[in-house]
Amino acid sequence: MGKRITIDPITRIEGHLRIEVEVEGGKVVNAWSSGTLFRGIEVILQGRDPRDAHHFVQRSCGVCTYVHALASVRAVDDAVGIKVPANARLIRNLLNGAQYQHDHIVHFYHLHALDWVDIVSALKADPAKTAALSDNTSNAPWGGRQYFKNVQVRLQTFVDSGQLGPFANAYWGHSAYQLPPEANLMAAAHYIEALRMQARAARMHAIFGGKNPHPQSLVVGGVTSVADLTPDRIAEFLYITKETQDFVKNVYIPDLLAVASFYKEWGGIGGCTNFLTYGEFPASDQEPESFYIPRGIIRQRDLGKIEMVDQQKVTEDVTRSWYVKSEPKHPFEGETRPIEENPKYDPDKGQYSWAKAPRYDGLPCEVGPLARVLVAYAKGHTEIKPLVDSTLKQLDIPASALFSTLGRTAARGLEAVAIGEAMQGWVTELVENLKNGDTRTYQPYEMPESASGVGLNDVPRGALGHWIRIEDGKIGNYQYVVPSTWNLGPRDGAGNLSPVEEALIGTPVADPQKPLEVLRTVHSFDPCLACAIHVIDPHSNEVYKIRVV
Amino acid sequence: MGNPLVTILGVGNFLFADEGFGIRVIEKLQAEYRFPEEVLVVDGGVLGIHLLGVISQPDHLIVVDAVRNRGKAGDLYRLAGEDIPRRVLAKNSLHQVDLLEALTLCQALDKVPETVILGVEPEDIETLSLEMTPAVRRQVAPMVARVLQELDRLGVTYSRRSPS
Repeated sequence: MGKRITIDPITRIEGHLRIEVEVEGGKVVNAWSSGTLFRGIEVILQGRDPRDAHHFVQRSCGVCTYVHALASVRAVDDAVGIKVPANARLIRNLLNGAQYQHDHIVHFYHLHALDWVDIVSALKADPAKTAALSDNTSNAPWGGRQYFKNVQVRLQTFVDSGQLGPFANAYWGHSAYQLPPEANLMAAAHYIEALRMQARAARMHAIFGGKNPHPQSLVVGGVTSVADLTPDRIAEFLYITKETQDFVKNVYIPDLLAVASFYKEWGGIGGCTNFLTYGEFPASDQEPESFYIPRGIIRQRDLGKIEMVDQQKVTEDVTRSWYVKSEPKHPFEGETRPIEENPKYDPDKGQYSWAKAPRYDGLPCEVGPLARVLVAYAKGHTEIKPLVDSTLKQLDIPASALFSTLGRTAARGLEAVAIGEAMQGWVTELVENLKNGDTRTYQPYEMPESASGVGLNDVPRGALGHWIRIEDGKIGNYQYVVPSTWNLGPRDGAGNLSPVEEALIGTPVADPQKPLEVLRTVHSFDPCLACAIHVIDPHSNEVYKIRVV
Repeated sequence: MGNPLVTILGVGNFLFADEGFGIRVIEKLQAEYRFPEEVLVVDGGVLGIHLLGVISQPDHLIVVDAVRNRGKAGDLYRLAGEDIPRRVLAKNSLHQVDLLEALTLCQALDKVPETVILGVEPEDIETLSLEMTPAVRRQVAPMVARVLQELDRLGVTYSRRSPS
């Protein structure tokens, strides 16, 4: 029996995600992921008008407001049997694309970079050498000795004031940090620039979203952004898209490659076996054929054989979750019946998570950027394949290294490039339509007495499905299966580990008291768990504890 | 031009009973008052770091939220300056980049608005319900008055919408 390490962020309600690993001989030999995921939306939705569902579902997550609204209107579009007009499709794509651009920048710099970048080491960097490194590796518009000196002074101020803020971290100086001080300083500077960029990028949603946060412009049948289809609004959107894309290409990608070049061994750590993507960004009414990001399943890492997805094969298993025992169920049959007794955390034999275990044809599947990029790569995607190939070449690693934490983090950046380019084409298409007198943004429909609908989407964190049943013109049942449940759920009745549990096995852990390496893989999935509760607690202490059991 | 920018930001989640308080106050402000253009009234939902754009712009920020302060349900609070907890964002918290952490991040941008947090002590933030508890619901109107007091303090003029 190895050492058990529990990583349990204590939040204001309860741990949203608790990761437990068993370490033997400096490596993870077993892992358990326990989550508190947003559950029970159907309680609020039952009996309501299906046209209102998206207003409620987009409040169930604190990170991805738009995506649940999109999934919801698509599920109802499907139920009422309509296709939305081309302009509505383009605006929905653009808003989703904006979400990708924004999310991926925030994830890389603000949620993941500090797993690889040692801020305290940056204080020791030589600003002149940092400027030279920046000139050689980055196309960033900022640089020079004085600029990096200023960043260093700012970091030092943070550290000296004890107000470490974002840079408060117990792991600085950990042996697993491998960047030289100058690379750490460059990355720290770009962390701050990315904060500025993301604040601007968020405005894209405000332009066609009617408001931001919580865009209100989606409706069943299309969009309501009619007043925004003016040359100056579209130009403003295009301007911010291009500005964001410049940042992705000139700063994010060079940083990604620079950091990755010091961590190539992570191309052999943190991989999963099966991959699922619903695909995204329709170019016409033909779905999924016209998707820019193709739909598909990869089993057993076999890139030679991409299967089409059949949503009927999606089930949720509750064997190891705190719900009343039942067979794995398709979301249309889905129910949420928590056990009556107090939940007991029993990772070894019993139930240990509030998350259910989503499976495809019984298989756990990784969803998200890596799944999307792998499916596109295997299908010879004209934009994504060359991006992947040149990255592999630049880092001098084989394609098999994609099945890893490094691959997952790289895929996120590469798809940000591809989607950002595609967005500019969608803007052009929208402008052409308007020029040619096609201003339609809405398709009228009749609400049926009874119907069912499915909205399959791929959003920044992965495959997102919404399922709705309409009875007597009202919502009879509503379920969704979200990306983080796919990636960070528990084991299932057949004993299959979830993707994150599988990915953690084999991870080296240099210091069980400071499981930095474990966090690298967990963060690479960009976990987004029930940010649905949000209360300020002035008495809350540090949100983190590690117990070595 | 030239007037200080003020943002009134309601945060919370109306799916969870009293968690919706901040949003309900914002809705009432928007429905009943007109504000000059340098005042933004924002429904921030439960976004953390994604609110950075919203909170790093103004000179003055007024946040309305449910605040657990060990009082009794419906108690109103005003937190300003040093009372605002300096919650630390450890990168090992998984995604808990909440509002206070976003405020801390503003420091990195050299743009920290003068911030006041107006809170109500919640009774129930766990039940999935669009209805607030009576003790908290009763405080929506008094909280609107408190927000307006803050605007008075800042010298902002506003007017009541005529009932249409």
